[in-house]
Amino acid sequence: MQQRITKNKVPLIAIAGQPNSGKTTLFNHLSGKKFKTVNYPGSTVEYSISKILTKFSINANILDSPGIISLIPSSPDEELSVNTLYAHPDYGKPDIVVVTVDSSQISRHLYLVRQLINSRFNVIIVLTMLDLLHKKGYDISESKLSEILKCDVIKINSKSGEGIDELLSSVNRNIHNLENENGSVEVVKNPPEDKENLLKSYSEIGHIEADVIFPMKETPQLKEPDIQKINESLVVLNNPRLFQKPDEFTLKLDKIVLHKFWGLIIFFLTMLIMFTSIFYVAAPLMDLVNEAFSFLSDSADSILGDTWYGNLISQGAISGVGSVLVFLPQILILFLILGLLEDSGFLARGAMLIDKPLSKIGLNGKSFVPMLSGFACAIPAIMASRTITNKRERFLTIFIIPLMSCSARLPVYAILIAFLIPQDKAFTGGLILTVIYIFSIASSVIIASVINKFSDVFLRSNDNSSFILELPAYRMPKIKRAVTNMFSNAKQYIFKAGPVILYLSLIIWILTYLPNYNPVVDGTGKSEQEIVSLKNSERIATSYASHLGNLIEPVMKPIGMDWRVGVSLIATFAAREVFVSSLTLIFKVTDTGEDIQNSLLSAMRNATFENTEVKIFTTATTAGLIVFFIFALQCLSTVAISRKETGSWRIPVLQIVVFTSIAYILAFVTVNGLRFFGIN
Amino acid sequence: MLKTEHYDLMRTAADMKIGEKAIIEDIDNSHPSSHRLMEIGFTPGQEIVMLNKTVFNDPISFSIRGTIIAIRKNEAVSIII
Repeated sequence: MQQRITKNKVPLIAIAGQPNSGKTTLFNHLSGKKFKTVNYPGSTVEYSISKILTKFSINANILDSPGIISLIPSSPDEELSVNTLYAHPDYGKPDIVVVTVDSSQISRHLYLVRQLINSRFNVIIVLTMLDLLHKKGYDISESKLSEILKCDVIKINSKSGEGIDELLSSVNRNIHNLENENGSVEVVKNPPEDKENLLKSYSEIGHIEADVIFPMKETPQLKEPDIQKINESLVVLNNPRLFQKPDEFTLKLDKIVLHKFWGLIIFFLTMLIMFTSIFYVAAPLMDLVNEAFSFLSDSADSILGDTWYGNLISQGAISGVGSVLVFLPQILILFLILGLLEDSGFLARGAMLIDKPLSKIGLNGKSFVPMLSGFACAIPAIMASRTITNKRERFLTIFIIPLMSCSARLPVYAILIAFLIPQDKAFTGGLILTVIYIFSIASSVIIASVINKFSDVFLRSNDNSSFILELPAYRMPKIKRAVTNMFSNAKQYIFKAGPVILYLSLIIWILTYLPNYNPVVDGTGKSEQEIVSLKNSERIATSYASHLGNLIEPVMKPIGMDWRVGVSLIATFAAREVFVSSLTLIFKVTDTGEDIQNSLLSAMRNATFENTEVKIFTTATTAGLIVFFIFALQCLSTVAISRKETGSWRIPVLQIVVFTSIAYILAFVTVNGLRFFGIN
Repeated sequence: MLKTEHYDLMRTAADMKIGEKAIIEDIDNSHPSSHRLMEIGFTPGQEIVMLNKTVFNDPISFSIRGTIIAIRKNEAVSIII
């Protein structure tokens, strides 16, 4: 861990601090990147690294790290952050650690500062949240704090940029000192602290706090400076804990948000508004995307004609990708609302409210945010569960996250529901979707409690269950930040899912188009349109996909499906949303001139089992498909991240086996049950 | 220092009423969460105010050192007042 700055090495500045201390806001300011500031403790799971903006004219790397309470970690999340602080795998030991300290609660935050100083890091203290301290009528003396702790202390308002210049000159000075130093300073790890040492630390911090915090002068002109100082210290001595009162507004709002009755109402209303806006607000935007892609596909058709490459472009590429991008508005809205809720401080209250019921089924209040994120995408959700300190609860949370109905399932549900109900009844559609969501939540509760019962077999871990969570002061969420954050999330998502969807669309196109790409049909007495349609079905019936499908047909029959749906279901194991594009390719035998969704719907209505008049898509089989999608773990990326986060194959393999068998069995029961009651 | 067996007889943070203030007397070392509780500021001599309970009476939120922290009832019992 020896380290010395030479001319060729770019200095590394790490930003450390407790959760909610304003780290990320400072990082954004220095890096110019618009990352989000998280209000939910510990949710900066991943690191952000960047160069300091050129306008600040310092050549240094800057690293944002997850919030830590202590250098002695108590969760995997913290352990990672602590280890990375001591020696980043790629960048080594940070040359300077800028530690953010919430001025409105400095005693708690100075605890980490002391540990950092004891570890012999080169520390610069940044005081944040001064507005909260001022609201309480107090101020803090940075010069005194600097004198006591023997390091630079700078007051900052990251939003307005006040104090940034001072911080930069302090950074420059520190870099300069390091360059001139001959001997290098070695960093030492903090040994685990016993109770006595810990309390000694805190009592020293108490003295520091009393020295540096002082009441704000109301009428400074009337008093002589010296008398005033004496008065101030008297006030502090007499009311040593006045500045330790939390934010007044937050206390008042919590009386409502955590109220036994109103709290529950607010919680459910928030969830309801969130999910209904995902469906209703998104609808017109989705139509727009849908029309844009039909236009592109039609244009490609008319320019390239009925040739193999024309087909490849219009059906393989454009329709395939388009049928998936249709649900982008829904993802955007979900990310936006989650961001706003997180920023406002509401999510931490939600976690507190739901801790008790979740602990009954072996989960934790801290499972709430990961589970909620699971409605967007299981991958970030599983990563977010690192904040759960208890291994059993973390594994159980990871286990059931795939049951949260992720946004990739929305296009699948959308098309299946559209098939079930007439289009003018959008309300019924929304209702069915709500039922699907409630059903999947209820199933996850049942599955979680069953798995928890047999946790010795499934999770193999049983350590202390704990829920300690800071409820941060309420803040007005910044719309601009939430919007930029929404776009960066959506962009990441598209770049991750997009290529997979494109490749699979092309592969499925190839499988359905070859080898008999120009089939011979008897066209006597038929219109040109009918000939095209005949050719298409002949081509698919003799394609590679058909051969592949025949192999799996025996498995598909019991749930009322044929090989074509089977091929689509196999394709979904790469990503669920591929189901729609794959159906579009396999079933879209005629181009009726409608938009993508409608022509797929009419193709589904006309689809029959080969050489028979029996319809494939009926109410029973469509309902069966929906049930299948609620449970089946059809996402390789989820399996991969589950493997990574649990450190073994046991959990992901169990997930695949358990969820896919439940999916198949319940789909079977649904289809045959409905048929038994005469619903076909 | 007090011995563990005597803690049963003592009042803890879990017994506090909404709005009640108290000074922490000691932290029960034998509780698995005790170290983390002390690290986040629940130290003997520190004043806490009980703020809210959820509809299920658990967890409980406390005002401490300028912020609000929610902990479970079974963790609050390790905070002797």
